[in-house]
Amino acid sequence: MEALFGTKYFGFILSAYSVTTVVLLLLVVWILVTHKSRKRQLAKLEQAGIKRASRAND
Amino acid sequence: MSTDAIKKPSGLTALANPTRFLALVKVLLPYLWVATIVLLGVGLWLSFSVPDDYQQGRTVRIMFVHVPSVWMAMGAYMVMVSGALGVLVWRHPLADVAARSAAPIGAAFTFLGLATGSIWGRPMWGTWWEWDARLTSFLVLLIIYLGLMALWNAVEEPAKSARMAAVAILVGAINIPIIRFSVEWFTTLHQGPSVIRQGGPSLAPEFLQALLVMGLAFLLLFTTLHLMAMRNEIMRRQIRTAQRKAARSHQTGGKKMGSTTSEAS
Repeated sequence: MEALFGTKYFGFILSAYSVTTVVLLLLVVWILVTHKSRKRQLAKLEQAGIKRASRAND
Repeated sequence: MSTDAIKKPSGLTALANPTRFLALVKVLLPYLWVATIVLLGVGLWLSFSVPDDYQQGRTVRIMFVHVPSVWMAMGAYMVMVSGALGVLVWRHPLADVAARSAAPIGAAFTFLGLATGSIWGRPMWGTWWEWDARLTSFLVLLIIYLGLMALWNAVEEPAKSARMAAVAILVGAINIPIIRFSVEWFTTLHQGPSVIRQGGPSLAPEFLQALLVMGLAFLLLFTTLHLMAMRNEIMRRQIRTAQRKAARSHQTGGKKMGSTTSEAS
């Protein structure tokens, strides 16, 4: 760890990379969770007989 | 006129069809994810292989996440500007989808630019924050992003919210050159440009290489996330249209089996 971050600025470098990792991971998770939820909602609507025009002829 | 005479849509026109766009996204996403992860890995390895900077010491490593975040924050806004023009000038069906989907991603990168800049500033400048032109104009960018997201959510009618947001995006675009040139127009604590400048980059090749690889990795990550967010936004519109259709069918005496919806489908 010392070789990567040094001792003097260890906390600053680790914080910068940690905050970047956390924010980007949260963004990815948020987008994936939203996608799953929308997919589920669309499937429910199709089950209820409400089809989209692109699937009207299915 | 024979059907042969009707030209097949190509390029951006072809992508105006959300179903065609979603099919393309489905094909592209796995490749984009692999390329992003590989490039991020290489970029991180390069970032931690560079020698210490003669002035910044080991904190120069913060630059490899700070600078690409700032580039993406401003790049995302330029994507929104293109979307705004697409709404107002070309009325492209996916223009508002593209602009709206870029906003939260741009806001996240702007926050990262501010946070990592602040973390770097404390040991190098002796302060977490300074109200200088570069830092303040960049904070204004975050506020613009949040304001636009609020605007999109506040106006119910899609066409109206798209037009209002497009105008607001174009007005807010004035902040982009202010951010870019603030270090030249004003006396700021923030250093001047060191990559995109007259006379070429002033960075040592090993720093520049790591920075460009991380920049490219962040660009790929942004592209991947943006396409995924656009897919979500198209689905949101499909759900909204379907729900309206269901409500209308319910009002007019019961739901018709197999009834269809057309918006963004």
